[in-house]
Amino acid sequence: MNLEMKNIVKSFGSNDVLKSISFALEGGEICALLGENGAGKSTLMNILGGVLQMDSGSIVVDEEKVFFDKPADSQKAGIAFIHQELNLINDLPIYENMFIGREVKTKWGSLDLKQMYQETKEIFNRMNVDLDPNTMVRDLDSSYKQIVEICRAMMTNAAIIIMDEPTTSLTDREIERVFHMMNAMREHNVGIIFISHKLNEVMNICDRFLVLRDGNLVADGKVNDVTTEDLARYMVGHDVRTESLVREREAGEEILRVEGLSSYPHFSDIHFSIKAGEVIGFTGLLGDGRSELFQSIFGAANVSAGRIYLNGKEVKINSTHQAIEAGIAYLPRNRKENAIIKDMDIIENASIATWPKFSRKGIIDKQKHHETFEEHRNLLRLKMGKLTDSITSLSGGNQQKVVLAKWLATSPKLLILDNPTQGVDVGAKEDIYDIILKLADDNIAVVVLSSEAHEIIRVCDRAVVMYHGVIQDEVSGEKMNEHTIMNLATGGQLT
Amino acid sequence: METKVSGNENRMNFFEWFKHKWTTAPLFSTGIALIIMIILQTLVLGFDYDSFGEWFQAWTNNWINILRNNAGIGIVALGMTFVIMTGGIDLAVGSTLVATGAFTMVLLDTGTRGLLGMVGLSGAPAFIVTILLVLLFGYILGALIGVSITKGNVPPFIATLGAMMIFRSVTQHFMQEQNTTVPMDFLQIASFKIGDYMLMPIIYWIIIAAILYYVSKRMTFGRQIIAVGSNERAARLSGVNVNKIKLRVYGLMGFLVAIAAVIQVSRIGSMDFSNAGRGMEMDAIAAAIVGGTSMAGGRGFILGTVYGMLIIGVMNNLLNLFGVPPFLREAFKGMIVIAAVLLQRKERAS
Repeated sequence: MNLEMKNIVKSFGSNDVLKSISFALEGGEICALLGENGAGKSTLMNILGGVLQMDSGSIVVDEEKVFFDKPADSQKAGIAFIHQELNLINDLPIYENMFIGREVKTKWGSLDLKQMYQETKEIFNRMNVDLDPNTMVRDLDSSYKQIVEICRAMMTNAAIIIMDEPTTSLTDREIERVFHMMNAMREHNVGIIFISHKLNEVMNICDRFLVLRDGNLVADGKVNDVTTEDLARYMVGHDVRTESLVREREAGEEILRVEGLSSYPHFSDIHFSIKAGEVIGFTGLLGDGRSELFQSIFGAANVSAGRIYLNGKEVKINSTHQAIEAGIAYLPRNRKENAIIKDMDIIENASIATWPKFSRKGIIDKQKHHETFEEHRNLLRLKMGKLTDSITSLSGGNQQKVVLAKWLATSPKLLILDNPTQGVDVGAKEDIYDIILKLADDNIAVVVLSSEAHEIIRVCDRAVVMYHGVIQDEVSGEKMNEHTIMNLATGGQLT
Repeated sequence: METKVSGNENRMNFFEWFKHKWTTAPLFSTGIALIIMIILQTLVLGFDYDSFGEWFQAWTNNWINILRNNAGIGIVALGMTFVIMTGGIDLAVGSTLVATGAFTMVLLDTGTRGLLGMVGLSGAPAFIVTILLVLLFGYILGALIGVSITKGNVPPFIATLGAMMIFRSVTQHFMQEQNTTVPMDFLQIASFKIGDYMLMPIIYWIIIAAILYYVSKRMTFGRQIIAVGSNERAARLSGVNVNKIKLRVYGLMGFLVAIAAVIQVSRIGSMDFSNAGRGMEMDAIAAAIVGGTSMAGGRGFILGTVYGMLIIGVMNNLLNLFGVPPFLREAFKGMIVIAAVLLQRKERAS
């Protein structure tokens, strides 16, 4: 089968996500789709999968123009989309999962389990998969779940399969298994679009690559002609603003030291330390474990091994309120799920962390909270109405500033910011960078977790790059550039 | 001319004000519903009296009856509001009521088995010790449920369903064929007369409602309940000890049920352990919901629950005055609950 996407344009409001993308895909080809977060990969694939509709452009399958209004249309045209969160039902056996939504029935109207079992067995034989169709999906590891999804796609005679980061949650052996399967599909003349952040894998399995950046297709070529460094450079581009905000600062006493911290399967054997007045960045790609690491330090998750030292003294932090008392603040990622309490107003969202501290006999000292909030309001450049307005009446950037105000009120010694500029407009982003540097000047140790390397480079004194739950390496000064960071984040070594 | 125009504007403003209040003030529609119920009830009571004094006497008596009959369950509904605000539910309140009620009677029994009598306590000191012990017992029963929910990760519905069966069954087993009677003086706790009226249960209800209202508005505990119910993850990541809050909320629930049990025992001097408190959980939930509390958690109003309890109480009274057959009364209650939620939906949608 032959697929062509021509001049695809898509925007959400005033945000142009795809700016005229064109590419073609042949059967029997594995094509990598690369790009940083927000480059437009998912949008493009969702259009191909019928989940989203394009604003203009055309999709041509085997010389014939097609229109996808819903996912079912795309499936009918022979395109299968394997989402990152797999669509399998844990409590059914494999063979029933293979036929969800298109069950085989007997003439009596009941499920024809025997027939479904047989067909599943056949496809497994054809694809050389060594699995018993009777196995419950719950009992499969992630790689076999991927494989079941792939087989299901094959069963619907899919000629093109989109795989959205299939290897993120897999171990090396499991990855091998999935790659083996992908090779088998290539032999069956199936075209595969492989979305991945891991460049080594791309070099290993793919024939071709496409790189998206800010909604443009910036590179299209054969994998054999390039190196991972080239790919990283394509993804990052040359035109990123690198004007650094970092300035010389006297680092003070050591605030936090972590030794051999582990929590299976998120991270293992983590060592680092941070001093007062330092801004340190943690970066990596999806599944690198940095959020889990700092949530553990904040007492929101357990650790299986290792030691944490605060101000040189070993501490055991088992809960978030202990962490706050110890002077740690953690601004979580995914503001909506993890930080915003929508049934409370602005001032309450900004003061919840200090309720126990600023209260007398359990009665909240509202006056004190107002004063503290006003203190930080100017620094944060917060645009808002009344203190008692709903938190949801604010824009994303201002919501984030309210959350930041909450943590500043606790007067932390260590401030951990997990993806602080997520869903925040450009102006507010700059404000947040300014605040970070201001806090460092005030001798607070700041940790910035971000998947955006240029953000880390702009505000951090040094950057720790994580890959699959381990610290790949640490860079600073000259070496702290996007190419090096991308190289480390995709599993490469410092050269 | 000018005055007429401005009068017109004022009327416009009133409607606008009304619409604004209706859509934004959470208890506005509930309050209006309550006022309508009160007016209806006043009309149904009629004006067929010789003098205003006599009419007022009848009206007041009717009201005192409504309030007193609903005081116990009204107190339970207040605790239920907190429980629902955390995103949970407590089905065990009826069984906790008989367990704590039975405990009260065993402590005070005038026969040979009265525990306090055995240690030589009687009269007012015995009553005080009894009440303290019963309230503590209620708190412990509630906290046990809380432990299974927080430490054991049992969903609140299931934990309290289990507790509902256990508490009543065990109580019935131990209390079968026991003929316990409490001292007559103990009845004063609920039946003490102020003037000519038995107001004590109403006073207890008002005091507890006032305290819990203050807790829900101004105290760390009350505000943290909202945070937990609205977004548990965010609350935990903001340093709220979620388990402690839940444990205390279920403990408080048991504590309040124990108060209701003491009131009930001291009103009639005994308790029917197989039937007392049956359906109490549903009435308490109904009152909270009519008062604007969201089953999803995070949103709830102590004052609203008082309104809700009154609406249901007045409605029962109206059905009584109208002579509606007893079996049909539950149907009206059901309609009120659904209508209340429909009204509140509209509120939030606009």
